[in-house]
Amino acid sequence: MDTRLPAEIRPVLDNGIPAAMVTCSGDGVPNATAISQVYYVSETHVALSFQFFNKTIRNVRENPRAHVTVHDIHGKSLWMLELEFERSETEGPVFDAMDMQIEAIASMTGMTGIFKLRAADIYRVISVERQFYPPHV
Amino acid sequence: MSDAPESSAPSPGSPQEKLARRTKELEVLQRAAENLSSTLDLNEIYASALRTMGELFEFHHSIIVLAEPGGETLRVVASRGYDDQGVGGRVKVGAGVIGLVAERRKALYAGNLGQQRAYAAAQRRQMVEAGRGQELGEAPVPGLADAESQFAIPLLARDELIGVFSIESPVKRTFSPHERGLVSIVANQIAIAIHNAQLFEERTQAAIALQAANASLEVRVAERTAALERELRVAEELLSDARSRVEGPLLGDSGAVRVLREAIAREAPRKEPLLLVGPPGAGKEAVAHAVHAASQRAGAFIFVSCPEAHTASRSASLELSTVDIGPDCAFEARFLASKFELAAGGTLYLDAVHELPDECYPFLEAILRRERVGDDVRVVGSTTQYVGRGGHGSRVDALLRVFSRYRIAVPALADRREDIPAIVGHFVRRLARQLGKSVTGVSPESMARLTAYLWPGNIRELRTVLERAIMTARSSVIEIEEDLLDEGLAVGSYRLVSPLGSGGMGEVWLAKHRLLARPAAVKLIRHDVKHGVPQDQLVRRFQREAQVTAGLRSPHTVQLYDFGVNDTGSFYYVMELLNGFDLHTMITRFGPQPAERVITLLRQACRSLSEAHTHALVHRDIKPANLFVTCLGPEYDYLKVLDFGIVRDERGSDATLLTAQNLVQGTPAFMAPEVVIGEGRIDGRADLYSLACCACFALTGRLLFQASTAAQMLLHHVQTRPAPPSQMTELPVPPDLDALLMMCLEKDPGLRPASAMELDVHLARIKVEQPWTQEQAREWWDTHAPETLGRQ
Repeated sequence: MDTRLPAEIRPVLDNGIPAAMVTCSGDGVPNATAISQVYYVSETHVALSFQFFNKTIRNVRENPRAHVTVHDIHGKSLWMLELEFERSETEGPVFDAMDMQIEAIASMTGMTGIFKLRAADIYRVISVERQFYPPHV
Repeated sequence: MSDAPESSAPSPGSPQEKLARRTKELEVLQRAAENLSSTLDLNEIYASALRTMGELFEFHHSIIVLAEPGGETLRVVASRGYDDQGVGGRVKVGAGVIGLVAERRKALYAGNLGQQRAYAAAQRRQMVEAGRGQELGEAPVPGLADAESQFAIPLLARDELIGVFSIESPVKRTFSPHERGLVSIVANQIAIAIHNAQLFEERTQAAIALQAANASLEVRVAERTAALERELRVAEELLSDARSRVEGPLLGDSGAVRVLREAIAREAPRKEPLLLVGPPGAGKEAVAHAVHAASQRAGAFIFVSCPEAHTASRSASLELSTVDIGPDCAFEARFLASKFELAAGGTLYLDAVHELPDECYPFLEAILRRERVGDDVRVVGSTTQYVGRGGHGSRVDALLRVFSRYRIAVPALADRREDIPAIVGHFVRRLARQLGKSVTGVSPESMARLTAYLWPGNIRELRTVLERAIMTARSSVIEIEEDLLDEGLAVGSYRLVSPLGSGGMGEVWLAKHRLLARPAAVKLIRHDVKHGVPQDQLVRRFQREAQVTAGLRSPHTVQLYDFGVNDTGSFYYVMELLNGFDLHTMITRFGPQPAERVITLLRQACRSLSEAHTHALVHRDIKPANLFVTCLGPEYDYLKVLDFGIVRDERGSDATLLTAQNLVQGTPAFMAPEVVIGEGRIDGRADLYSLACCACFALTGRLLFQASTAAQMLLHHVQTRPAPPSQMTELPVPPDLDALLMMCLEKDPGLRPASAMELDVHLARIKVEQPWTQEQAREWWDTHAPETLGRQ
């Protein structure tokens, strides 16, 4: 198990396949949700978009630990990331890059000003592990 | 056959494969750099950019949009792979991936567009279902509607947004950092190439615009220059016109115009009113201008047409004077007062002052007496009337008397004919320029005609005639036809045809009666011989004189048909027209004549003088030039006595027209002693003395006395006893004739024949070898002057 993101994970983060994110509330109630993008920040950090005040956000604010699974269909594998919420950015290069993508989509769907990035939540990578699909998959 | 190993592609991910890929990329980049930097043609740059991106990446949809002026929109300039190329279409800055990239000037890679669109669409549906649809805007979908991945990169040059290069694909596609770097490199090259091309295009357009602006400017400058030149020409013409109005009439070098210039110089410095007297059109306004110019007065020259003052005063209320000249003052006086104000420090010119409205008199008289405002204004009036013509005690007369303390006589053009060529030349140049005609001058014949013309309308008429001739001119040298001058060549019922000659007192013209077509000779008395004599007095004397002359019935006295005063004020006589020679011409041209012929001629002269003397009229100017030898029908050598113009009425003391100034009148070479001395009563015997002088001249071809000056000649007549004619010629002179002529040449009139009749009797008794016959006379005329007989 590695604590740094390897280079080969970057295309996987960009491949557009929704990732699965699991969080727990402060009292230990789990929640799983699909997230559109895991933004590569550095070998030790990723960013997740904070667009709506939903349960995931509340959970993370109560319990900073999260688990994210990213699928690599071409590589017939999945990557499991153990993350810890560090901070929420509303400006800066990471925020801008994420905001730009969301803004682009919003403008394409007539939702400018509504479908927008409220913050870029920065997570520290605690561990990253690759697991290949079983042969029958 | 051996199994040679087949060449196989390097396995993916192997170093060989990476090297081959990098090498290919390098080649593409190198080629792209060459292609992009080798052209300034935007279309070539677009094509090269799209091709390069296609070679580098397996994207088949690419598009180049460029920022438009104003920065709010982008315009598609090139695309590749789309069904609808969309070139020319627009993308709003801030809208979609491309618009966002342009707005933020940052590259954007989106690899999951489909999913994100679906996610956003779901959100949109939820909002619609929640009744928040009004918050939603339109959903522009530039580029591929089903794009899954897109990479858009701003084209920047020197921090300036040129546009956006975008590639997109309907399949999911990822870009490695290396690939993104490649895209950035190419995009930079594209941006620089486009920027350079745009700059080049801008400069080219600027150059073209500058060229067009220059051309436009040149056209405008040319137009403006032409306009200015036109204005200059107009100004020059106005100046020339103004100058010629002033200078034109004063051109020339005749005695009359020299006197006029001297008068202008003399009168200009004064402050007192000045009167300009002269016939209409003679140039009085020009003289007034000249007086003003010579006066060095700083104020303006103000022109007032007195005949129009009444009308003008009612149509120019704004010009009325602010000077208080009294509440009851008439419009005309207020109008005049306003002109005085304008002329402050200058000259007020009252044209035709004798026609000034009565309402103006009190004001003007006050001005002239220096009782009112305007003492810094020089008042110059003009009139065609002499003082006194309006009648003694008349208001006009009183006004003119105030003016005429200082006056300048402006001569008629007919009195300064020598100036006509100069004036004609001046007007021809000016009028030709004004009328746009290429006229350089007047033909010699026309100039002669112009010079001979009487010009009743004076310079004004001359200008009009020239203007009409120039307007109809077909060559550079204009012809003045006679019909243009017809009116000016008329006196009474006669039309002047051509000048026959001129003398000290006037001119003689060939004329024809307008209706009868009878030829006649018209003698015009020059204007300048009348100067200083009141006009009405002149007219009365002239009429009496003409009446006396007309009363002479002798066939040997030239017959007077008519007399009068023409439009220009010249006196004229209309006399019978005679063909032949005066005695002076005959002797000068053909030499001394035989005694018998001279006797015949003298006897005829005696008959004419006898009648005149019987009426107590003395000719006073008997001389060869006034003894005209002609042919009347079958009669040859018919003598007529001419020019009773200076006859003296023996019975009265009233001098005639031409003797009014007590000057010695007559011709020195033929003047009787008593006329020279001016003592005693002059009678017909003075004419006999002169006639004897003429006889000596005819016999000898020489004057009785030889003298270098007129005074010497006159002195000879008084003191010197002449030599008998027989001693002055080789030709035979009968002693009786010799003695008779010496008798007539006695200093004492009492020793001469008592009368012309007596002289005629003495002449008849003289015995000659062969009397002069009509046959001899006819032969002489046939030989020497066949044209006189109507034969050539």
